[in-house]
Amino acid sequence: MTIADLVRQHAERTPDAVAMREKHRGIWREITWRDYWRTAETVARALRSLGVQPGDRVAIQSENRSEWLFVDVATVAVRAATVGLYPTNPPDEVRHMLADSGARILFAEDQEQVDKALAVLDDCPDLEWIVYLEPRGIRGRYQHPKLISWSDLLASHEDAEAIELRSSGDDVATLIYTSGTTGRPKGAMLTVDNVDFAIRVLIEGGGFSDPPPGPRDLTLSYLPLCHVAERVFTVWFNAAAGVTVHFGESIATVQADLREVQPTILFGVPRIWEKMMAGVTIRLAGASLIKRSNARLWLRVADRIGATLEANGGRHTTGSRLRYAIGWLLCYRALKERIGVRRVRYAASGAAPIAPDVLRFFMGIGVPMYEVYGMTENTAISTANRPGRVRLGTVGEAHSGVEIRIADDGEIQTRHPGTFAGYFRNQAATAEAMTPDGWLRTGDVGVLLDGTHLKITDRSKDIIITAGGKNVAPSEIENALKASPFVKEAIVIGDRRAFLTALIGIELDTVGEWAQRRGIGYTTYRDLSGKPEVVALVQGVVDAVNAGHNPVEQVKTFRMLPKELDHEDGELTATQKVRRSAVATTFEALVDDMYGSKV
Amino acid sequence: MRNRPLLRTSYNQELALLDTTSKKVAVGILLAVGVALPWLVEDQLLQLIGLACVTAIGAIGLNIVTGYAGQVSLGHAFFLAIGAYTAAAIAGDPDARTIGFGVREILIWLPAAGVVAALAGVLVAPLATRLRGLYLAIVTLGLVFIGGHVINEWSSLTGGPGIGRQPPAPTLLGYDLNTGDAFLTRDQKLYLLMLVLLVIAALAARNLARSRVGRAFTAIRDRDIAAGVMGVNLARYKTIAFGVSSFYAGCAGALLYVGIGYFDPTTFNLLLSVQYIAMILIGGAGTVSGAVLGAFLITLLPRLIREVPSFLPFISNSPAESPNAYQLETVLYGVLIIVFLIFEPRGLFGIWIRLRNYWKAWPFSY
Repeated sequence: MTIADLVRQHAERTPDAVAMREKHRGIWREITWRDYWRTAETVARALRSLGVQPGDRVAIQSENRSEWLFVDVATVAVRAATVGLYPTNPPDEVRHMLADSGARILFAEDQEQVDKALAVLDDCPDLEWIVYLEPRGIRGRYQHPKLISWSDLLASHEDAEAIELRSSGDDVATLIYTSGTTGRPKGAMLTVDNVDFAIRVLIEGGGFSDPPPGPRDLTLSYLPLCHVAERVFTVWFNAAAGVTVHFGESIATVQADLREVQPTILFGVPRIWEKMMAGVTIRLAGASLIKRSNARLWLRVADRIGATLEANGGRHTTGSRLRYAIGWLLCYRALKERIGVRRVRYAASGAAPIAPDVLRFFMGIGVPMYEVYGMTENTAISTANRPGRVRLGTVGEAHSGVEIRIADDGEIQTRHPGTFAGYFRNQAATAEAMTPDGWLRTGDVGVLLDGTHLKITDRSKDIIITAGGKNVAPSEIENALKASPFVKEAIVIGDRRAFLTALIGIELDTVGEWAQRRGIGYTTYRDLSGKPEVVALVQGVVDAVNAGHNPVEQVKTFRMLPKELDHEDGELTATQKVRRSAVATTFEALVDDMYGSKV
Repeated sequence: MRNRPLLRTSYNQELALLDTTSKKVAVGILLAVGVALPWLVEDQLLQLIGLACVTAIGAIGLNIVTGYAGQVSLGHAFFLAIGAYTAAAIAGDPDARTIGFGVREILIWLPAAGVVAALAGVLVAPLATRLRGLYLAIVTLGLVFIGGHVINEWSSLTGGPGIGRQPPAPTLLGYDLNTGDAFLTRDQKLYLLMLVLLVIAALAARNLARSRVGRAFTAIRDRDIAAGVMGVNLARYKTIAFGVSSFYAGCAGALLYVGIGYFDPTTFNLLLSVQYIAMILIGGAGTVSGAVLGAFLITLLPRLIREVPSFLPFISNSPAESPNAYQLETVLYGVLIIVFLIFEPRGLFGIWIRLRNYWKAWPFSY
């Protein structure tokens, strides 16, 4: 069964039920399953008439919106593969991904994305058509033979014969480009069978939530759909279980959209959860005395509840339940409503390691939080914490049908039917990713606690071996630092050095607010992060983290990053992960300064 | 969507008057109490509450032109007078000393009073399109004096100062509302009539305020030049504001003295206009609920103050002694206006909004 089959099934069984809602000019426009399938079918016909053959690639570069899903389903319906490009990808990466994938058609959201595609068109000989979704700034101004508008494309392919769905399990359904923290992004091929397995394990099997997701569930789609995790939670949850997907106005309005939608299932990367927690802190700091004292009191109680839950694998004791009930009346209910998680019955964090403090905070205020683990190459299926069996600091237990082993060098390896078919046109990389006996090398180092719960130490490439020969996992220290509302980025350095140091980037919102309340004037990010008071503030955070680590793992000194790290400048990947090598080069002077003065 | 009031799937949901469950419940309870009141309180108090209902209609009218459209009008008493005498003349006894046509049907004289006042309002409106703020206030003040002079002198219509005439005696589709019968006393009937009319008037005003017209009013109030630039036809909307406001005033004027059974031309003076201004300022300018609250407070204030001497023995209920309740009443008007303007410019309704927002933002402050 492909996702196209699944969507058609919904359209036949419950044609008038709402498949998704999209915020447009202030209201949530509803799209029924009938509309969904009808549009997807129209797009599929259009793809065929534009010459897309089974096995071809269709690219899309857009923010999350209904058209993304239409294109994805239509592409699968004509047995081609969807290639997602991040809207933030700079032209250079767009060139690589379009040329590497050999996409024949690109769906570009707006003028910005069309401009990028046009700029690199000469290096992408396979690209035949660029379909733009938003005509603003393009229609009537751009004259390019390869440009065609979405509405024209659809209008010319309405009301023809139904699309006949054929598929084979080996068809590549999608090409997902890895974020590429170390090298160029590589396109991982996920087949129809991979997706099918993922749906069976994660959705129908209740691999994540219990009970499994269903038509009564709501999700908000806000993370990039090119990422496998968001694809699971948006496209596959929707197609397989009928979960109603909501598309907000933009990534900038997530807070407001969450409040309106109040989703029941919410997936976030650590950065999102950290930001949400920091948001609560800032807004409380600005609250009136009574409100502040009330919330502080109950957040302290929430800490204790979180600790109790942690000790009991996520289950309440009578005492904690009672405390929670009173706190619910006076604080948690309203607090959760404000930040948009009041009705969340399953919240997950994944795609990067997260500090246990953040998880404990959310568990304490009554958001059932689970850390999950997976990667593009295994269709996001590895392990997950399960209700009632949560262990903080671990990524949980293997899903049913998933084999996990720890290799001799500590690397985690997985084997199951969801393992990808290889990197697109890159035999060498594929061979490197697999062991000879068919296990997938995840590149993560970890241990199994009690034989069930997997604890990840770090990416094996990131492990720091100090000059003294000690192995240190930087991500754990970095996450502890980032759990502070004032710290946005922390990069721990120390490979082959005498001691650990860190580059720290502040969170402009919170630190700015903090500075304002203390009457510290500032102009720019650079100015603010250079203020002695701010350095002292960060020193406090670093000291607190150091106190919880043994001397080898302590950050001896740090420098403030003079700018916010950015995807455009190559310091972050499209998924906001830090490219260590790029940062090390850009801020070489700062790093040398830290070691030069002390060595 | 159920359980998710903010997940709005159509603009109608955003415009809904009763958009939350708690609002529906509160309004339902309020209406139930309003309807049950005749059987709960004595007739004398009921007459006063009925008067408050009518006053509220007048205050809503002033609120449309002053609160929503921002055109300060001190001429409200003039429009009240036009309504009162139009209705009295149409419904009056043909054989009496004063002019009367003997049409006692409320469905005729009430709209007629409104329409005549509205016409007067439309005639005045051109002044408003030329003048702003203080100048407009002075010109409307002039209306009160001209109107006052005319009704004082036109004794065949008004009975003349010190003598006065009878207000209209309402019958609804032949059912006499002006005398008691086996089911309801006169005051109960009149009160219910006033309550129904107030609900209709308030609903109509809310609907006006949330429509294109209402938004144009608000735009004019906030900055008439900006509104004009945005394409709001100033002359047209100011005329509409005066017309609608005067219609409300006319209807209120027609009903104002029905309960008491007598009125005198000298009542329509500047003080009456100022009282209405006080109502919308204390209640909350630019909100219908505020105007109603203000009208009730100002109308019931004398009655409330009558109770003060029983709590504070040094204040006397007799006009001959000092300090007495009447002095207190006069002082309180002034104090209330000053206190509200300084501490709560958005009036009683503003206090409610503040309270509501406090809990709405819980546990944050914003």
